[in-house]
Amino acid sequence: MIGEERRTDNVSLAGRESGRLAAPDIRDEFGLETLDMNMGPQHPAMHGLLRLILELDGETVVRCDPVMGYLHRCQEKIAENRMYPAVIPLTDRLDYFANMHNEHGYCLAVEDLLDVEIPPRAEYIRVLMCELMRLASHIPSIGFLLLELGAFTPILYGFRERERIQSIFEAVTGARMMFHYIRIGGVKADLPEDIPEKIWEYIAGLEERFQSDFVDLIEGNEIFVSRTRGIGKMTGEKALEMGLTGPPLRCTGVDFDIRRDYPYSVYPELDFDVITDDAGDVEAAYRVRIKECLQSIRLIKQTLEKMPEGEVMADMGRRLRPPEGEGFGRVESPRGEFSVHVVSDGSDTPYRVHYRDPSFANMQLLQEVIPGHYLPDIMPIMGLIDPVSGGWDK
Amino acid sequence: MSTFVNYLNLEPWRFILSFGAVIFLVLNLAAVLTMAERKTAGYIQLRFGPNRVGPRGVLQPMADVFKLFTKENVSPNRADMWIFLAAPIAMFIPAALVWMVIPFAPNAVVTDLNIGLLFFVSITSIGALGVIMAGYGSRSSFSLLGALRGAGQMISYEVPLILSLLGVIMLTGSLSLMDVVKSQSGGFWHWYFLPQFPMFIVFYIASIAEVKRVPFDLPEGESEIVGGFMIEYSGMTWALIQASEFASMGLMSALTTTLFLGGWQPPLPFLDLGNFDWIWFGLKTALIMFTFQWIRWSVPRLRMDQLMDFGWKILVPVTLIWLFVTAGAILVF
Amino acid sequence: MAVTFPQGDLTTRLERYLESFQSQHGIEETEIEGNVLRVVVEPGSVPSVLATAREHLGILHLSFITVVDWIGSFEITYELLDLRGGVVRVKATVEGDEPVIGTVTHVYPTANWHEREAYDMFGVAFAGHPDLRRLYMWQDHFDHHPLLKSFEITTRRTFEGLR
Repeated sequence: MIGEERRTDNVSLAGRESGRLAAPDIRDEFGLETLDMNMGPQHPAMHGLLRLILELDGETVVRCDPVMGYLHRCQEKIAENRMYPAVIPLTDRLDYFANMHNEHGYCLAVEDLLDVEIPPRAEYIRVLMCELMRLASHIPSIGFLLLELGAFTPILYGFRERERIQSIFEAVTGARMMFHYIRIGGVKADLPEDIPEKIWEYIAGLEERFQSDFVDLIEGNEIFVSRTRGIGKMTGEKALEMGLTGPPLRCTGVDFDIRRDYPYSVYPELDFDVITDDAGDVEAAYRVRIKECLQSIRLIKQTLEKMPEGEVMADMGRRLRPPEGEGFGRVESPRGEFSVHVVSDGSDTPYRVHYRDPSFANMQLLQEVIPGHYLPDIMPIMGLIDPVSGGWDK
Repeated sequence: MSTFVNYLNLEPWRFILSFGAVIFLVLNLAAVLTMAERKTAGYIQLRFGPNRVGPRGVLQPMADVFKLFTKENVSPNRADMWIFLAAPIAMFIPAALVWMVIPFAPNAVVTDLNIGLLFFVSITSIGALGVIMAGYGSRSSFSLLGALRGAGQMISYEVPLILSLLGVIMLTGSLSLMDVVKSQSGGFWHWYFLPQFPMFIVFYIASIAEVKRVPFDLPEGESEIVGGFMIEYSGMTWALIQASEFASMGLMSALTTTLFLGGWQPPLPFLDLGNFDWIWFGLKTALIMFTFQWIRWSVPRLRMDQLMDFGWKILVPVTLIWLFVTAGAILVF
Repeated sequence: MAVTFPQGDLTTRLERYLESFQSQHGIEETEIEGNVLRVVVEPGSVPSVLATAREHLGILHLSFITVVDWIGSFEITYELLDLRGGVVRVKATVEGDEPVIGTVTHVYPTANWHEREAYDMFGVAFAGHPDLRRLYMWQDHFDHHPLLKSFEITTRRTFEGLR
């Protein structure tokens, strides 16, 4: 591609010149040299298109420098040239593993600008869809973690669940991945009549399978424990310094969840627990994800029970022209805090849209935590963050 | 007709024919095992596996082989071509050669070497050389890491592997595999896996490590070093590496059967099939192969330091202790 | 865990934040709206204001940094969350075509990549940043900052020199 060759040389040079990332000089001691290794962007464990420039001393990593931009589409610039509703399908392409949350965050930001009242049924449908999405993202990500440790089977069990949830999404939204379902002022369409029943059925089946397929199979496995316990260990303070949110933060014991602390939509009316774990390593992140899945199931049941009747779309008029000002939307996506900042100049296109994607912020952990670990430990640490390429590259 | 058959039974024709048969078997074993592997994986993972070519997908290996034959053999620009191309051969030949001393049935063995086990030990050690050649020859940091891991792992795990053989050698008093099988005759309670149970387990684990399969597939390390020493291979060179891996997997299963599960001896004396005892040998070997595959699709991979710890701190002491126990038992009884 | 969360009622807490900002820094404009404390400051005092927020007030989380190109000047927004419902939004406006502002990476290490992104997209230089490289775009032969309003989306001009 364009500029690829130049890029190869210059990034590593720039990395070495800057003082902070320089490797400790271990060459003097034994007359040994470190090995430079280029991991990615075409690498099966890099969650898409990430490139890590590694400096290895034997199998120990002494320097890790993430390079990104291989999937950068400059979504923020494209959004500036589109009308407000036309940005929603773009947000689907951000974190393509949990698209509903992106749509929700963007719509919250624009609704903050417009000061519009959302019909309660639409709010419940949004929460229902977001929690199903969280399940569809958390369960395969447990599989990804195991895949990166070398066990191939759990990922297929995970995708089996995602597949079934995607079928529900297909029936509701008409699409399996890029939904464009949550709209400014509500949702696109009401739920089809048989969908609540289908979701009940699916949830009942999932509860049966969950313990055996994702907990009993994995949790006690000797090799899994030895590969994950104590890997990527960090304290809560350190995690907050690095700007982590979501499961990577909660696994260090910091009790922070946007759904509870910065409530949006109808979450205040629903009953759920914020899961934390004290260990702060990969195993703890796995446990947090497992327990969050159970909380999501709880939330889905509550939304289905409390779902009111009524309209699903507020009256928005034909053309959106929000007043001058700025709007903020903040949701808890499966990976952490997803924030949108929309600035309006009174026209029908946004003046500026800024996405704060959890994958992007969480990835700063890589260059802090990986040095000192072995090369194979990079994979479980990636599984701890579980980043998505579309998210960090916008 | 019978004179012709008897003539074929004379050296060197007997050797040439039987060796040809064994090579044919080994090459086909790779194809059959690929198929079995994919089917096993499919059923473990709640899917079908290959089911498009032929009835229930049984012709899939043929399609694979056809594809691999027609594929271009790409090599890195800066690779050391001689070493790069010689490495798959250096891996395949040792794996195929050891089949010479495996007894399939009472009279079916290519050469009944009286130092069969020594032959096995020395030839399998050469396998590590092929891995190093592949990693060094392809000039890639991933390959180099994979080769270093492979060399370290194979050499380390050879120690418990050889030590666990010693108990059987002590009980038999011979290095010939034929003698080992013969001394296990008379029902499954005479097989060596009972008196030598710890050695059996150690041999089984060390042979998984020796053939580089999950959970000891660090030299390949699909998710971290993307194939390790074989990352730069394609087409038939890659197929040869795969074939040698499957051949050595079959070899290790066959050896486990021979040493600990009575080789071609039937489990109960009245089930003796005479010249058809190779059926028992085949069944037992297939069972061991299946457990290899079962393990492969069920567990994650160890890390290098954990692997070394496991080999040197657990497997080697266990074999040493059981060696003393065996020696004491022989002295006492 | 050593992480302590702010206690007490949200409005009194925001008022406390406001008081201590006002007592220690020259604040141009403030406003409390809902759970948001909006603070507009001089660009020069941004690092010290954020240092106050983190060290004295215990606001631990920097959510994001947004830059808005109001042609001729740049508005930079720092979104701080105190993790218990309160939001502190620090805004500063930098004039000129080649804006420079002090880095906050020594206060909030997470600002590292957010600032690199802002530099990449807008050319806002963060003085004192330890590693101010481009984050997304090509490292050289690409002199544009795509999110500037003066940057037009035309393929030919954008990729000149990269081919």
